[in-house]
Amino acid sequence: MLIITRKPGEKIMLGDDVTVEVIEVSGSSVRIGIAAPRSLPVYREEIWAAVKEENAAAAASADAVPPPAEPGAGGE
Amino acid sequence: MVLTSSRFGSIDVPDEAIVEFPSGLVGLGGSRYALLAREEAQSFLWLQSLDDPDLALPVVNPWEFFPEYELELTQQDADRLGAARPDHTSLYVTVRRSDDDATEGFSANLRAPIVIVGSIGYQLINQADDAPVRAPLAA
Repeated sequence: MLIITRKPGEKIMLGDDVTVEVIEVSGSSVRIGIAAPRSLPVYREEIWAAVKEENAAAAASADAVPPPAEPGAGGE
Repeated sequence: MVLTSSRFGSIDVPDEAIVEFPSGLVGLGGSRYALLAREEAQSFLWLQSLDDPDLALPVVNPWEFFPEYELELTQQDADRLGAARPDHTSLYVTVRRSDDDATEGFSANLRAPIVIVGSIGYQLINQADDAPVRAPLAA
């Protein structure tokens, strides 16, 4: 992992399009500003991990749910 | 187009059912899915991946189970959706089987709904305070 020391107001570039700025440091909290293209979703990591887990669990639950009645569809 | 699903076999899917997710679904591969519905009365729908025959996620309309459900978006996500016309926008949440054997049934992820505008879909993070990742579906 790359580790960089920055002061409030200083920024980091990820490639040409993503800017990460340290806005404020207060006690054990850091406020960060992120400017990224619309096409690049930005998540808090713990939420991203939780959603990833739920998506995987949904995919794994597929056999428990009644299938759609399309031509060629059928349960086990 | 004809879609191949390991669960449903070969299905002829109308173009209107195909949804492109520019950013995919969180943690899952592929960007193109087909939204498969049963008859109107059916609560569960499916997002079947067009890229992976084994990948399909059951989804429901959240308001059918959670009439009070509210979706709050960040400004950035609202901008991504653009000036979405309500008549072209639909909303779904993923459903999973509860992994706790003691509680039979399913839960829905109200934190990360799937918004479909026309033929483009996004899985977005709901900023509303009370939006659990696992909300039990009342049977």
